[in-house]
Amino acid sequence: MRTRGRFFTVLIALALLATACGTQTSPSGSVPSTGASGPVSGGQVEIRWYCCLGGGDAPEQVEVENKVAADFNASHPNIKLTFEAVPYDGARDALATQIASGNPPDIVGPLGIGGANAFPNQWLDLGPLIQKNNYDLSQFPENTVQIYQLAGEGQVGIPFAIYPSALFYKKSHFEEAGLNEPPHKYGEPYVWPDGREAEWNYDTAREVAMKLTVDKNNKDATQDGFDPDKIVQWGFEPQRDDPRQVGAYWGAGRLVGDDGTTAQIPDAWVAAWKWWYDGMWTDHFSMTGPQFESPDLNPSDYPFFSGNVSMSENYLWSTYGVGDAGDDWDLAAVPSYNGQTTAAFNADTFRIMKGSKHPDEAFEVLTYLLGDASQELLTVYGGLPAREANQDAFFETLGDQFPQEVDWQVARDGIQYADNPNFESPMPNYNEALDTLNTFGSKLQSEPNLDVDKEIATLKEQLQSIFDQSS
Amino acid sequence: MWGYLFLSPWIVGFLAFTLIPMLATLGFSFTNINLAQETPLTFVGISNYQRLTTDPQAWSSLAVTFRYAAIALPVGVILPFAVAMLLNSRSLRGSSAFRVLFFLPYVVPFVAGVLIWQGMLNAETGWVNGFLQTIGIENPPNWLNDTGTVYPALVMIGIWGIGAGIIVNLAGLQGIPTELYDAANIDGAGWWSTLRHITLPMVSPVIFYTLILGVVEVLQYFLVPLVLNNGTGDPAGSTLFFNLYLYKQFFTFQNMSYGATLAWLLFVVTLAITLVLFATARRWVYYAGER
Repeated sequence: MRTRGRFFTVLIALALLATACGTQTSPSGSVPSTGASGPVSGGQVEIRWYCCLGGGDAPEQVEVENKVAADFNASHPNIKLTFEAVPYDGARDALATQIASGNPPDIVGPLGIGGANAFPNQWLDLGPLIQKNNYDLSQFPENTVQIYQLAGEGQVGIPFAIYPSALFYKKSHFEEAGLNEPPHKYGEPYVWPDGREAEWNYDTAREVAMKLTVDKNNKDATQDGFDPDKIVQWGFEPQRDDPRQVGAYWGAGRLVGDDGTTAQIPDAWVAAWKWWYDGMWTDHFSMTGPQFESPDLNPSDYPFFSGNVSMSENYLWSTYGVGDAGDDWDLAAVPSYNGQTTAAFNADTFRIMKGSKHPDEAFEVLTYLLGDASQELLTVYGGLPAREANQDAFFETLGDQFPQEVDWQVARDGIQYADNPNFESPMPNYNEALDTLNTFGSKLQSEPNLDVDKEIATLKEQLQSIFDQSS
Repeated sequence: MWGYLFLSPWIVGFLAFTLIPMLATLGFSFTNINLAQETPLTFVGISNYQRLTTDPQAWSSLAVTFRYAAIALPVGVILPFAVAMLLNSRSLRGSSAFRVLFFLPYVVPFVAGVLIWQGMLNAETGWVNGFLQTIGIENPPNWLNDTGTVYPALVMIGIWGIGAGIIVNLAGLQGIPTELYDAANIDGAGWWSTLRHITLPMVSPVIFYTLILGVVEVLQYFLVPLVLNNGTGDPAGSTLFFNLYLYKQFFTFQNMSYGATLAWLLFVVTLAITLVLFATARRWVYYAGER
């Protein structure tokens, strides 16, 4: 018996040892690395660049990202930069798993405000490294630098790309429908073919969109006999990456009140969601969820890329795939709501994780991505350089890429209509709240007979419950 | 001593990868551990369990799991048995070929199978609806995006993987002594009497085994909704199964302590149902060697 007892004691000790050798989440929040990134050979340090929490996962983008990593490695013998692309849909969970297992990457990006909010307190304060390396922040507009200054966390990012919004539209669709194109200048009216002028707002956009929505018998959505089950061309596509973005084009807002704890749904967002819901199920100018999910109808990320959507609100980043829509698209002003125009705004950068074991080398990579490699990356991301000095060159590159003479001034003008507060503003229990919001968005897209007001009221209650749990 | 030595790899594995992590999650459920850990790690008593009682999403995802189980479990137990009966039939020609055909899908990687099913069940462009339209059904179901049809669709996908169940049932059927059937035949028993009084009792241990595994599998249902919808629970939260919600609490919401609490609820529910099934087994499972 004594021998047996000793044997089991040894076994348990071995098992405990094996468990202890594993990694744990550090209570302090700084996550120790397992050494997955670290010295590789000959004093070389490996820096892992993790993508794609906020875009960057399209094949043409991954190709450029890999090239950037290879170019960096060729010119920096002291560092081995490893690029890791995880598709956007699974990127959050994969990063969370890496952090939880004590194996975080060094650099993450391109990363939007919302993507970063999903990992609170995981980002390195770059302040000391900026000082140590005399990195010049004055090359960026001050307000873009301030976006990344967080109370209690420091300077967690350096400006890289900004994405103003515009209305992408297909000129040929307007011509076929006998309609005039939407206005390019903010504040200008829409002119109907009979010469009538109408404010370029969402009521007008709805009318235009229905005329541009066509079934296989070539009837538009305003005509008798229109078959909503056989639509071949849709009139309007909102930015539906999450319901906040659908709302943000109608008015700036956020889901938590100024006290940081009370759930709220901005009135403009309520109006936007109802308009969109009717657009899918009653007016038929916008794809329903199943249509949106169909790889035949929507083979790329955004329906406009299919060439079968006439108007689409989206960020400038759409330039990465909009070429698939043909060469007859242009940019117009985003419609207004209640006399006010809001063009949702997005910004991306790269960040260093707190858990990086080699912050100095990671900063060297970061400055390369924001500097030498920025032109190449910004072009493929469709990101307008945060450095004002580079913006003209960026649009010249886009001009070469899309020779049909796109009115890029519309995108420049959109900056002044950026949503403030930004729709991606922090909120308590960010990930869980966003998940609930997306379930609501899924309901809108998949259920045709909803009481939308009731669903919005339920959403508000759910958000409040989630916010309460964080206190 | 040698016996223990040979057992030791399993024992070490069990301790390191099952028992100790399980006990660790029990410990986590009484703390505030999470990924960001902005506040110090502290003992929080039963507050995670209190939260569980008032978390509508937890109970709604458990209800989702039970709703799906109500359809999937009977199908998962009865269908393999029925197919095995057919394959065991003497009057079936080419039974070996059928056995291979039924088992083949099981060897296809399940994720690949799910992705193919996703395409096949697409409301607009899928083959299933294409077929239904050709036979005159004008508005076929929106299988994966309608809360009313998503469970039958998931069950259909599940049927894809019943090959292993068929093999187990077939093995059970082929283990029944033919003398019993001969005797029943002489006594004038028909097909139904033979099934009820000979086949079912003799394969009841196999059915019980399939049922227990089915219950555990269905309560842990995770892979298909994760692959189909990236774990979003679409449409409208109807595929947010309990195990998926648990996973999201752990890795998406990064709330380790509450995720651990949910894991323990799942363990208790699974254990309770399994114990109930074992308690009822005496009444309907026949073990020839027991008496």
